[in-house]
Amino acid sequence: MKSKLVLLLAVVFLTTSLLMGCGAQQQAPTETTEETEAPEEAEEPTTVETVRIGAILPLTGGAAATGVKLRAAMEVAQDIINGEYPELAKVPLAKEVGLPNLGNAKLEIIFADHQGNPEMAKSEAERLIEQGVAGLVGAYQSSCTKPASQAAEQYGVPFVAGSSSSAALTERGLNYFVRVAPNDDIETAMFFDYLIYLNDKYNADIKTVAVAYIDNEFGVHAKEMVEKWVKEKYGALGFELVGVVPYAVDVTNVDTEVQQIKSLNADAVFHASYIADITMFVNKYKEFKVAPKAVLNYCGGFQDTQFVVNLGSDSDYFAGGAAFSAEKLGDMPELAKINEFYKAKTGADLDGPALEEFSSVLVLAEAINIAKSLDGDAIIEVIKNTKFDAPYYATGAIKFDAKGQNEILASYMVQTQNGKYQAVYPEEIATAEPVVPIPDWDKRN
Amino acid sequence: MVKNKKILFIIIAILALIPIITRTKAVLNAIILLLIFATLGEAWNIITGFAGQTSFGHAAFFGIGAYTSTIVFYRYNITPWVGLILGGIIAAVVAAIMSYPCFKLKGHYFAVATLAVAEIIKQIFVSWDYVEGATGISLPIIQRSSGFAKRLFYLQFNEKIPWVYICLVLFTAVILLCSYLENSKMGYYLKAIRESHEVAESIGINPTNYKLYAMLISAFISAICGSMYAQYILYIDPFMIFSLDISMKIVLLTVLGGVGNVFGPIIGASIFIPLSEFTRIKLGGSGTGVDLMIYGLLIILITCYQPKGVIGIVQKLTEKSKKTNVGGEGKIEATSGN
Repeated sequence: MKSKLVLLLAVVFLTTSLLMGCGAQQQAPTETTEETEAPEEAEEPTTVETVRIGAILPLTGGAAATGVKLRAAMEVAQDIINGEYPELAKVPLAKEVGLPNLGNAKLEIIFADHQGNPEMAKSEAERLIEQGVAGLVGAYQSSCTKPASQAAEQYGVPFVAGSSSSAALTERGLNYFVRVAPNDDIETAMFFDYLIYLNDKYNADIKTVAVAYIDNEFGVHAKEMVEKWVKEKYGALGFELVGVVPYAVDVTNVDTEVQQIKSLNADAVFHASYIADITMFVNKYKEFKVAPKAVLNYCGGFQDTQFVVNLGSDSDYFAGGAAFSAEKLGDMPELAKINEFYKAKTGADLDGPALEEFSSVLVLAEAINIAKSLDGDAIIEVIKNTKFDAPYYATGAIKFDAKGQNEILASYMVQTQNGKYQAVYPEEIATAEPVVPIPDWDKRN
Repeated sequence: MVKNKKILFIIIAILALIPIITRTKAVLNAIILLLIFATLGEAWNIITGFAGQTSFGHAAFFGIGAYTSTIVFYRYNITPWVGLILGGIIAAVVAAIMSYPCFKLKGHYFAVATLAVAEIIKQIFVSWDYVEGATGISLPIIQRSSGFAKRLFYLQFNEKIPWVYICLVLFTAVILLCSYLENSKMGYYLKAIRESHEVAESIGINPTNYKLYAMLISAFISAICGSMYAQYILYIDPFMIFSLDISMKIVLLTVLGGVGNVFGPIIGASIFIPLSEFTRIKLGGSGTGVDLMIYGLLIILITCYQPKGVIGIVQKLTEKSKKTNVGGEGKIEATSGN
């Protein structure tokens, strides 16, 4: 028995080690002169055929549907960089093939799946770094972005997060981390400014606010930001936080939560919810006839176009921060073209998180091009000291502050009207007037 | 002390040699996770394999260990080595408090109770501000240029190799302890309790006390593994660390290898962890979930056709070969008789 047991163990160890080793080797860089053993040892390339970056996303698991969409957005960015698109001349790296400063090297994104698991996010980040990627993008869920970017920090590899929104991400003092999306801190301030706008221009008389949030990193942080802003600024301007309603991550019924929200009778409800939860909430709002004057959503389920598909006309009049509105495509030809590419891949319009992940790839690729190097230190220096053109955003540019947060707010307020996401605030970029207060359920068509 | 010293030596030697053969991060990562989860499996085996008390709540002890060392470092800048021991002690105390009433339950009821307790502990951590609640904690990273002594002190390394050897030392210590326990008086008492609670009691064994001792040791080891895991991942939140997934992974790999045998968890972990990592690495980026399907299918096949785990397969093969040998010898004798 002894010998067989030992033999079995030896076979298992050696087979898996060999297989995993081969797996890593098979994806080794092709014809590049950069060092792939460790990023800190990377030498400045003279000629490079392919520049690799890693993308870590939830491609399976609970957030797989979103992860697959985000991958498509990143692939669009890759196609634009690697092709020639004179019509997108204003979009960085679109005019010429590849990265011109690196001998027109092609960009290759290596995708990895973290399944929504922070442990896997870290190990995938390390594996991609070992394969010699010049930088990382991803990882959508903030709880996965955290360990993945910690790993990148340890190896001195730049990490450009697209849509992860937890404010805590840029509060960790990391040197190699930046984030494109507005965080929930900035978003909360925007929500209150929007309410002030509604009060001033539309006499909405919104004074009381409640927060419904998923009891995880995303939701709790959003709730804390509301508490902070009411205490620091907006409380003095007449707003009052009348209650908070947390719900479990694996919630299957929100009857109790909706009853709680109804009893709070708040003028506005801020939601930090994913697509499945917000769909349940809206159905129950209808059932219990809950219609606050405004419902504002943090970047999550509402921004997913599936929200409108799931709820049909019941999805109308909800609002939230987003970096994309299909109604703005007429004013933004570059965005319209990018959306066309994305739609060809997915059959759906872009949404805020997809556009943010798209831009994270462009920012990283442009930084590599400007740095003319695959060295992490050189790339991050460019990222932190450059104002990147982003004609696909209403604000037109991306610039990171000292903490790595994009200081040019890429989002604006959108409201669903007749099944479309209309830009409603700020006024100068609005595509429609906001509907306030939200009509009662029995007065809807 | 250890029945199969040779096998143990070979296992440790193979594990120690892997970082010399390959320095691929994916392989070393799988080895580190394999060692952490094999150690956890050993801890679980003490209470379930030896004492027969099925626990589905070991993630609670694992999480307490992870949180203790993290908080001690995050809030007070105290080395995780101190937090590691402290976490073990706290987990043992929690285990004593939760187990005493739960030991009055038998069979499935005990298993359900441990599951419930783990869930309660998770909810406490989700809503406890001092431990940053649901937002989780990112461990502060020490400077990249720090020397090895400082890295060892703070348990943070730029390379995977120190982790492999630290986890290997922990695993060796735990497997030696388990081997000792298995063949000690306490081990026999636990097995007696497992086979028949009433008979054990009738011969003067106090089942509650011995089950409690087993649970304390098991919780202490699980918490140390939790501390190691937190330091390795550098981020924890209640959902990942107290998850049912962790508890099930411990159960699954031990059952896969063979319950009640010190070699069961290491066999289970050495199949389960590399398989999981390998299928994800090779197929995960496709986003089709094929990796998870293959992985699930293999587990179903092993559990359906060999519920005693891989140890059971080996035992079957050994018995078969013994019978063949005996038959063969008989034939020879018969021939020579003629």
